[in-house]
Amino acid sequence: MAQPLIRLKDVTKTYTRGGETLTVLNRLALDMEEGGYFALMGPSGSGKTTLLNLIGGLDRADHGLVAVAGEDLTVLEGAALSAWRARTVGFVFQGFNLIPVLTALENVELPLKLTGLSGKARREHALHALELVGLSDRAKHRPGQLSGGQEQRVAIARAVVSDPKLILADEPTGDLDRASAEQVLTLLDKLNTQMKKTILMVTHDPHAAQHARTIVHLDKGQLGRIEHNQPAAARA
Amino acid sequence: MPPIVLLWRNLWRRPLRSILTVMSLAVAVFLICGLRSIITTIRAAADNCDPRRLAVMSASGLFVELPLHYQARIDKVPGVEITTKFQWFGGYYRSQKNFFAQFAIDPETMFAMYPECKVEPDAIQRMATDRTACIIGSSLAREFGWKVGDTIPLVGALHPHPEDKAWEFKVAGLYHSDRPNFDNRTLFFRWDYFEETLKQGGVPPAVGVYSIRVAPGADVAQVIADVEDVFKDSEQRIDCTTEAEFQRQFQSMFGNMPLFLTWIGAGVLIAILVASVNTMLMAMREQTPDIGILKALGFTDGSMFVLFLLQSTFLALLGGGLGVFGALATAPFISAGLEMFAPGYAVQPGTVVLGAVVALAIGPIAGILPAMRARSLTCIAAFRGE
Ligand SMILES: Nc1ncnc2c1ncn2[C@@H]1O[C@H](COP(=O)(O)OP(=O)(O)OP(=O)(O)O)[C@@H](O)[C@H]1O
Ligand SMILES: [Mg+2]
Repeated sequence: MAQPLIRLKDVTKTYTRGGETLTVLNRLALDMEEGGYFALMGPSGSGKTTLLNLIGGLDRADHGLVAVAGEDLTVLEGAALSAWRARTVGFVFQGFNLIPVLTALENVELPLKLTGLSGKARREHALHALELVGLSDRAKHRPGQLSGGQEQRVAIARAVVSDPKLILADEPTGDLDRASAEQVLTLLDKLNTQMKKTILMVTHDPHAAQHARTIVHLDKGQLGRIEHNQPAAARA
Repeated sequence: MPPIVLLWRNLWRRPLRSILTVMSLAVAVFLICGLRSIITTIRAAADNCDPRRLAVMSASGLFVELPLHYQARIDKVPGVEITTKFQWFGGYYRSQKNFFAQFAIDPETMFAMYPECKVEPDAIQRMATDRTACIIGSSLAREFGWKVGDTIPLVGALHPHPEDKAWEFKVAGLYHSDRPNFDNRTLFFRWDYFEETLKQGGVPPAVGVYSIRVAPGADVAQVIADVEDVFKDSEQRIDCTTEAEFQRQFQSMFGNMPLFLTWIGAGVLIAILVASVNTMLMAMREQTPDIGILKALGFTDGSMFVLFLLQSTFLALLGGGLGVFGALATAPFISAGLEMFAPGYAVQPGTVVLGAVVALAIGPIAGILPAMRARSLTCIAAFRGE
């Protein structure tokens, strides 16, 4: 088997708050292969977001190895880390996704501003990504004028617009109703199967987790069960 | 580089706040420009004086009168080319509120000595033939709607008319000065009319200030010393100074105006700076989630620093630009309003530069704190709302 896209070894993360040390991740080890679709489940406070942030280079482990797409994130920092993120990862968060003063199109265009693309090419790419999520008719809308589900789809368009290998999604359906959630999940399936993106999705929802091919359980900072799953998309 | 589109869009995130901020910056820069213009105008009044003109007043102060016979003695001092005299009339037109200066003068020597006070030849002619004639400044004429031929009744508050009525002065013409040392809001009338009328009531006339022009080639300092020397043992000692010095002393009767105005300007600057820092911090707090998003997308810490510095600079330039523009646009009106206090009010190029520098500097200074916070903020902290 090829080198895994994500390699975690002995990863420890603690937070100190008011003199107390809280071990959020405790000597965690896990490999995730490229092209996979992973769901990360676990009770609230079990460290799911923390783990996702470490993998996305938004936070730093105290200890251990976090290697993603061939880079050791424990040594990368500053502008080099920013550039790595821009190149490698697309994020979809639960809340805080879009910049409220920018239109959907402008939000999707943002990551491309970090590339050498011309303004025209950026617009075309962004429009294409909006088309992919079925929202090209909402290009000029501000986030405030979109539904929650539409906002998440715009966020997905933005996550893929610069063609990163890895999509990290933290409870992308957490705030959505059933139908909107289903649309978002279908999109993620599409990114995985058609565009070959590796997806790591944190979710509380067992139904959402069924879309992934690997379900990783996290409990009190340690790895629990790992389920292999025949996802709905593949069954269909 | 941060996404530039955000500069403009964030400005409209809270339109009212942005407008108020821009307005307060505009008012502050306007005030700073206006205050400096008053200072430069006051200074120009002294700087524009003819260095060969001297003023002679009582050593006891400007409000102490000098005897009439001093003129002949001054005339005899070597190096004195012409002398002329002024007496403050201190009257008012209809109401005390209509304040403007009136002086009794000798037209011939006065006009000879003050070429910046431009009078039509006809007016000089009329002034010579009519004892009650006066000439009035162009601003004064405009203010009260006076024309040549009008009669202006003035109540002689300081010098009551012997018949217990208003003095009457007939407008022989207007004068206009384009120099800041000579205002356009004064009424000058004939000394002989003044003197004879007072004598009817048995009051001897006296002189407020003598003006001297030093002959070309004569040493000004020497003439000053000589004039003072003539009166050193007289019943009334005198102070002889250059006209510029006289202007400065006159201005300092209101206290050290330029210093006072400078302090007000500095106060305005500090107030607007503090208010701007607060506004920028508020804006930064509001945009905290955006900072998290942008950093997650790969925008660098440095570019976030630049974004907030630019936002603040943009706002300040907008406000400051408006303020400088306002100062220039209102200059003619302010000039009219300040005619008596600071004649020739104008916004100097140096003041425009000062306004521009303030506008340019406030932004980065007010933005540096939020910019530094935006730079050091981590995505995690931004999303957790810290
Ligand atoms: N910056 C921080 N400072 C202090 N404690 C933190 C910080 N971030 C997370 N924690 C703590 O670490 C633990 C794990 O947090 P994390 O957000 O990873 O949990 P989670 O599994 O994503 O939970 P949820 O399902 O509620 O989102 C929690 O107890 C949380 O309070
Ligand atoms: Mg979480």
